[in-house]
Formats: sequence, structure tokens, C-alpha cells
Amino acid sequence: MDQLPVEISQRIRHEARVAGLHDHAPSIEMVERRRLQLWSIMIVVMISVGLAALTISGATGNVSWVTGQPLVLAGGVGVLAVAFCIYAVEKEVHLHRLSRLLVDERLLSNTMALQLQMNTALFNAGKALNSVMDLDDVLDAILANALELLGGVGGSVMLLEDQTILRVVAVRGEGIARDARVRLGESIVGRVAQSREPLLVSQEFAAADVGGALDANLELGGAMCVPLVNRGQLLGVLTVLAAKGAGFTDDDLSVLSLFAEPVAAATAKAGLYEAERANVAKLLESDRMKSQFVASVSHELRTPITSIRGAVAASRRTDLAAQREELLDVVDRQSGRLQAMVEEMLVAARMQENANRLTMQQIDLCALIRLTALDSNVAGRPVDVELPASCSVRAEPEALRRVLTNLIENAHKYGADPVRVAVQVSDDQVVLSVIDSGPGVAPEERERIFERFYRSDPNGTKPGMGLGLSIVRGLVESCGGSVWVEDAPGGGAAFRVALRTNFVLEPRREAAHV
Amino acid sequence: MSERPKILIVDDEPDVLLTLRLILESEGFDPLLAADGETALRRVDDEHPDLVVLDIMMPVLDGWFVLAELGGRPTHPRVVVCSAKSGDTDRARAAELGADEYVTKPFEPDDLVDVIRAVLARHGAPV
Repeated sequence: MDQLPVEISQRIRHEARVAGLHDHAPSIEMVERRRLQLWSIMIVVMISVGLAALTISGATGNVSWVTGQPLVLAGGVGVLAVAFCIYAVEKEVHLHRLSRLLVDERLLSNTMALQLQMNTALFNAGKALNSVMDLDDVLDAILANALELLGGVGGSVMLLEDQTILRVVAVRGEGIARDARVRLGESIVGRVAQSREPLLVSQEFAAADVGGALDANLELGGAMCVPLVNRGQLLGVLTVLAAKGAGFTDDDLSVLSLFAEPVAAATAKAGLYEAERANVAKLLESDRMKSQFVASVSHELRTPITSIRGAVAASRRTDLAAQREELLDVVDRQSGRLQAMVEEMLVAARMQENANRLTMQQIDLCALIRLTALDSNVAGRPVDVELPASCSVRAEPEALRRVLTNLIENAHKYGADPVRVAVQVSDDQVVLSVIDSGPGVAPEERERIFERFYRSDPNGTKPGMGLGLSIVRGLVESCGGSVWVEDAPGGGAAFRVALRTNFVLEPRREAAHV
Repeated sequence: MSERPKILIVDDEPDVLLTLRLILESEGFDPLLAADGETALRRVDDEHPDLVVLDIMMPVLDGWFVLAELGGRPTHPRVVVCSAKSGDTDRARAAELGADEYVTKPFEPDDLVDVIRAVLARHGAPV
């Protein structure tokens, strides 16, 4: 391909030399002038030869052509004329070739200039793609390049949202509103997105007849829509509009299709980048919560240790010998509290590793609730129970007891008395509710409170490590159930645990088979 | 100041209250108890203790509130803050609000007694 321009210019130089043009860079105009010269000389020569022939025949009268001297003269003139004709025809042939070569060369250089312009625009688009990470900026830069190259009056990039809606995310020029939405399959862009085929509208049209994201008052000279597809996945549509009086060709559509590739790549890349950024934010948040957890734990450890050291110091005093039993109780109680905290941390840590290793069995939830409520009442956290005689669920008994204990503790800590535990039985599931009479949980916190280390009052006065509810969720999900919080009908928070009633389904293993 | 200085112990942990009460009694003080900020302020009004041993993280009214409330009064008892919060910002905040000393939990009870004695000796009587 690169040899072609060199070959043409070599042939041009050769033809020019043969045709008698000694300029280094002959132009079509010069060739035309040379042809004009040649033909002028030819005509002059022909007229001269004609006149000479007439003169000779007039002077000789009826003298025989065969014997007379004029015959030689006339023959000489004729030969000269023929020789000149041959010379002129040969030059004409070369001049003709030269002019064709010059036209070819001009066409070729125009094409190359256009190609260069397109490459530059694509290069700029690629540069935008690599230099700017913000998707809006990337799309805007690419769109600007496409419009400049194709001479469009306006254009847009629409991206697919929720698999059914195209939304304008980048816009240039007049006539398209940012954030305008078009349903897949509707208007021109919607149909292009659905069919994934580029579309050229080469005639003038009124935007009002087309609808979609276009301003209804717009009169246009043409439009092109190209689908944005990356790895077989539809991402959106790139649209370019021509002003009234201008228009687009099939070549323009090919060029726009070339632009669609970087746009699709940018969109896919930005999507990955966004996901990565969200991931990093999540990790940072998790890191922050872990730091807070360490602070919470150290605080939680200090309180029982204070009591234990106080009790030990007091019991060493001889004047307090009578209180020794009471002080031993303090040591017992507070070391038990430390042990419970350590266990809670171990459960939380182990839960992630052993989530699937619980030994599930059919148990009577109501019996378990009654026992736990009894323990809770003894521990100073009174609970009212509203239960049927019995109800069978599939769970791991120790996990379920911890779920219940944590929910009751949570209700006392963050809610208010009275705390109720209720059970509702339906065909295939049992819903256990722990309901308090406190302020309830704000909607924006209803998911977050189940996160590990999350504390609704990081600087507040409530003790805790931010593990209780995350343990609840982990254990409930390990038993194939679900847990959530909502407002209780009469006010307060209602923590609900839905558990399956039968042996048949085990969601985790079932999911693995699908 | 009476023969036995009155010390109000404010803490939401019953076991902390119990052990401190026994130790302070054994050291010759007259301990009073409060499990939350509201009770603490009421007992300050009713019984005019010489010194308050004040926990920070408590339900209802926390230690910061009690400290600010006492600081706003023309006369108030000396205050030793006794908290599991160990940050420099917490110490600075307590000092700003008028606390005389800051003891971090867990502490050696004898050390707390020394601090209480030092504060009382330094100031003699409530401001």
C-alpha cells in the first residue's frame, strides 16, 4: 500500500520527461497547456502542408507527378507532415497517460489526507480513553472527535441501564437533552440498540417524526446510529446528527462504526473501574470498622478487668474479710463475662470458615425459646413469650440458641422494655420475631447493623463490639434461613428470623447443584 | 470538710460500684453511689460530696454531661474521671470541662485512692 504513491510519482516523472515536460512536479494544468501547444503546432503544420501542396500543384499545372521535380518536393512535404503527426500522436499518448496519473495522484493524496484526519481523530479518542478515567469525560472527548471528523451538528452517547432503558450520558451540540431516556426497541436509537445493526438516515427529516431523545423542533439533514457492543454485550448507542442541508454517506457510517469501538471499550473499562473503586471504598470502610472494633474490644475488656482487679485488691484487705464471698462472686461474674466475649469473637471468626459445617437437625423452636427466655429472665433481661405449643424447624440447636440470645440482648441494649418473642407458623416456614419497645431502627441502618464490627453508636454509651447481629445473620444463613429488621406494628424494632420447617431443602447445597 | 470525706462513685457497672465502695470505706472515706448521670447530679445536690469519681460511658446522662453540668455551677465537688476511654482527646476534653484528674480503667484501686487523697489535699475543700 505504501509503495503505491512512490510508484505513481516515479511514473509521473517518467511520462513527463517523455512528453517533454521538464518540471519536477507537473500539474494537470501544465499537461493541458502542453497538449494545447502540441495541437496548435499540429494545426499550423497541417495548414502549412496543405498550402504547400496547393502551391506546388498550382505552379506545375498539369505536369505529370511521376516525372517532375515538384513531385519530389511534394513527397518531401508529405513525409515531413506524416513524421510530425507520428511525433504529435506519441506525445499525446504520454500526455494523456500523464494526466490520468496526475488525477490518480490527486485522488490518492486526498484519500490519504482523509485517512490521516480519521486516524488523528481515532488516536485522540484512544488518548482520551487512556488518559481520563471519568467515563463522562472520556465519552465527551470521543464524541467531540467523531463530530469534528464527520462534520456532525450534534450527537450523543446513550448507555443501557437495567437492560431496557437507554439514557443519554454524553451530548454535544443542540437537540439532545442529557439524561433523556428511550426504551429499548422504541424510536431509531432504541431499534438500533435492539437489532445491534448500524443505521444511516440519509434523507432530511423532522425530529418530531422520529421521537426518542431528540428535541421535537429540530430539522435535520441526516443521522447515523451505531450500537456500542463490547465482548458481545450491548452497552449503548452512539448517535451523530447532520444539519439540514448536509448529510451522511455509507462511508461516514463506516467511520462512525470505527468510533464505536473505543466508546464501547471506554464504557466497559469505566464500568470495571467503577466496580474497583466501589470495592476499594468497601475495603477502606471494612478497615475503618476493624480499627473501631479493636477500640471497642479494648474498651469492653477494660470494664470487667477493672471490677476483677478491684475485687482482688479488696479481698486482700483484712478488714474486708467478711466480704470475701461477695468479692469472689464479682471475680466469677466478670471473668465469665470476659469468657463470653472471647467466645463471641471466636464464633464470629470461625463462622466464616465453618459456615457449611453446622449439623442441622429438626428441633422444637418453641421449647428452645422457652429455655432461652428463662435464662434471659434469670440474667436480668426479662422477655415475654407468645408461642404455640410446639413448632418444628430445621436448624442447628446451639446456633439457634445463640441467635435468640443475641437478639434478646440486642433488644434490651438498643431497644426498651418490654421485649417480646413471638412465632408465626406458615406452610413451609416459621418466622421468629424479637420485638422491643424502643425507637426502632432507621431505614438506612437496617442492612448495615448486620455487618461485622458495625456499631450504630460508635462514640456512644452502649457497650459492645459490633459482633452480635453479624453473628445472628451468619448463623441464620448457615441454617438456610434469613434475618431482617422492620418497624414493629405498635412501634419499636422487630427482628424477624425466617426458618424452614422441613428436611427437604438445603439452600446452600441446592445452589451448588444448579 | 467532715471527718470522713464524702466520695460519690458514679459508674453503670454494679461490680465496680461494689468494689470501690468497699475499698473507699476501708480507707476511711464515706462513699455514696450512683449508677447513672441523673442520679449522680441529684446526689451532688442532696448530699454535697467532697469529690466525685466519674465514669464517662453511662446510659441516660453520660459523664460528659455531668462534668459540663457541674462545671457550670458556682460551687461543685472535685472530680476524678475514671473511664475506659484512654484517648488523649478524651483526657483533654475532661480537663477542659474542669476535671481534676483522669484515671484510665483498669486501674489499681490503691492508685485511685492515692489520686483521690492528692486531689483533696491539693484543694482542701470543694470549690
